[in-house]
Amino acid sequence: MIRYLSYFLLLGSAAAAPFAIEPMPNPPGVDPQIGGVDALPDGKVAAAFHRGEVMVFDPATRSWSKFAEGLQEPLGLLAESPSSFLIMQRAELTRVKDVDGDGRADEYETLFDDFGMTGNYHEFAFGPAKGPDGSLYVALNIASNGAGVRPEIRGTWSDIGELDFKQMIHDGSWGKKSGKAGRMYSRVPWRGWIMKLSPDGKTAEPFACGFRSPDGIGFDAQGNLLATDNQGDWRGTSPLYVVKKGGFYGHPASLVWRDGWDKGDPRMLPEPELDAMRVKESARFPQGELANSPAQPVVFPDSWGPFAGQVLIGEMNQARMVRYLPDDVAGFRQGTLIPMFDGTPLGIGNHRLAFGKDGALWVGKTHLSWAGAEGLVKIVPSGLDKVFTVTAVSLAKTGDQSVLRISLSQPVTGGSDAVKVDRFSYHYHQDYGSPKIDEASVAIGTPELAADGRELVIPLQPAKGAIHRVDLGKLRAAGDVALEGKVLYYQASELP
Amino acid sequence: MKYPILTLSAALMASPLVAADPPAQVFQINCSACHAVDHMVVGPSLVEIAGIYRDNPDGFVKWCVKPEHKREGVIEMPSMAHLGEPVLRELHGFILKAAAGKTELKKGNGDPYSVPAAMVRRPQVQRIFLPDASPAAIAVALPGDLSYCFDAAECRLRYVWKGGFVDGAPYWKSNGSSLAKLQGEVVYREEHFPLTWPLAGEELPPRFLGYHVDKDGLPTFRYRRGGMVWTETIRPLAGGKGIAREFTTDGAKDMTAVASGGATVVSSTGSPGIGADRSKSFTLDFSWK
Repeated sequence: MIRYLSYFLLLGSAAAAPFAIEPMPNPPGVDPQIGGVDALPDGKVAAAFHRGEVMVFDPATRSWSKFAEGLQEPLGLLAESPSSFLIMQRAELTRVKDVDGDGRADEYETLFDDFGMTGNYHEFAFGPAKGPDGSLYVALNIASNGAGVRPEIRGTWSDIGELDFKQMIHDGSWGKKSGKAGRMYSRVPWRGWIMKLSPDGKTAEPFACGFRSPDGIGFDAQGNLLATDNQGDWRGTSPLYVVKKGGFYGHPASLVWRDGWDKGDPRMLPEPELDAMRVKESARFPQGELANSPAQPVVFPDSWGPFAGQVLIGEMNQARMVRYLPDDVAGFRQGTLIPMFDGTPLGIGNHRLAFGKDGALWVGKTHLSWAGAEGLVKIVPSGLDKVFTVTAVSLAKTGDQSVLRISLSQPVTGGSDAVKVDRFSYHYHQDYGSPKIDEASVAIGTPELAADGRELVIPLQPAKGAIHRVDLGKLRAAGDVALEGKVLYYQASELP
Repeated sequence: MKYPILTLSAALMASPLVAADPPAQVFQINCSACHAVDHMVVGPSLVEIAGIYRDNPDGFVKWCVKPEHKREGVIEMPSMAHLGEPVLRELHGFILKAAAGKTELKKGNGDPYSVPAAMVRRPQVQRIFLPDASPAAIAVALPGDLSYCFDAAECRLRYVWKGGFVDGAPYWKSNGSSLAKLQGEVVYREEHFPLTWPLAGEELPPRFLGYHVDKDGLPTFRYRRGGMVWTETIRPLAGGKGIAREFTTDGAKDMTAVASGGATVVSSTGSPGIGADRSKSFTLDFSWK
């Protein structure tokens, strides 16, 4: 069946790589919104659900068995073994473990709960991501002024803000005062931070701040911590960050928890001052065009041919995912975003991702009342050696001439003369979202094709800070094959 | 006219005068995460919006520029002032067109995943937002008709209720802005940790360590308090008029058991005092009328 489906897709579209995309049955009686997914060594798949169940799916029998239950909004799951999982839920990072070997969890061990909660709905918690040295990273959302706080909170209250604790308590008149709370707020510790935990989870340190809703943290193949965030206030469009210790990543609310912070309410600081403090985006997802709510980043395994080692990122709001190709320029890792799975039956709500040992990509979908979908989806690629796609993009400079070097998985047979480039940016400001700004077409020199046809060099004058959109829709490989991922979005935060 | 026209014009002054994108794209970029054609997502459907603003484009624009909190249990829309009045007027037309001939999808009755009260599995543990506790609350259904709230932030029992378990639908159906409802009457509230000692309250704050569940699903909570690691297992007393609480500690401390709210407490030591020689393992029975 799958073989047939692949064949069909291959015939049906010369543009897309042949991906067999198949929704799995949902576990009966379980709200099938998935907050965490991981693949197990035995081929099974573990998923954490909206109402707190942890279920294990057996692809051989297409059936689910319950491993654990009773968690609160798990939004990340990492398998330590088939009988032990690290799960981030609203209140804590928990190790859920089957000690007596009956296949059901009996230990719920609190690994890390040393952060505040106001009870605001938007204080979601994500992770854990495991670093190369075994350290664990979790990301903590800030609260939204869509609601206030609860009369009882956990953690130290910050007095920094226009409204005091009593005024921040949600009541019938919240709508009248919510404007003074800040669009998003961090009134208890480590909201808007990524925390680093020792491999055993026993010690924690605040790692980086400035996050708004970082619903995707993970490591790339080189061991860099990546975090996506969601368009909103101080997020003109959704960003991807390479996260380094001590960095401030743009949303000011969390700065109040920086050691020695003495500048008062950070959202009252002049925008240029905050702009100078922040680490710039490694990539940006144009809102409504590429992605609206990017989610978890994962690394393609070796079995994925031309995609191997690259980063794949989930997307909630559009029927696709996004690839990230890094480019180190002037010591800063920036790079290119490329749409993936366009034109397939993938659908929206692509939240949590995990690759099985056999190379299958498992996708957990959710919506939590926003745009999205439900359930577990399996994606199996085939014919990857034939896929025509961009495998690397770098911005380089020789003499006065800047060029964009684009590596491809197959020799280009046509269309290199039809490449178009334009650029645009977004405001960094307190307002929610941003229109596109500084839109301009980019004049390019004649694109040059390498002798083997696998590298396209485009001379151009890049603009610092801008997203450079490169339209490769006309490129063809042998057999009139179009690209998987026809548009590149190169973020030039630095210039060579 | 709640908002003077002046505010509206000022907010729109810096905005572009013409639409750069077609309305369908403006909608996809700015609205689609929260608004669908025929059913409520985060905000109302286009069918409902069209019903409210069909003949009132000015009201629509005004709302988009300065939204308010209107619906219970629903979050407030962010201002769309950055789109500018001409774009918002086009959007108004787009919404009317998109909603034309469509009707609101009928909502199912209640929560498709809820379990009828009589069929709730007991015992069981469910972490969820609960009233009268910190946001780190844990609901536990005991065998019989008692349930309790354990607070993982304070590491203590908060209250016991009699009847059904929790209705989590208000919390689960949305993005977590509502509390779960207790399906019964609170019969006991505990104002403080039920054991005290001379330095109690002057030590480090308690730390939650997690819980173990037995084969049936009954939890034993673990926490650090007063320099000792504690476990606490709560079971119903026969007749449902109270609870038996089995404590262990890894220390030796002279303590006194204290009940709250008119309940009586009976200790396995025979008196409210728990001597240092008995603090490794003891039981407190709490009962009420």
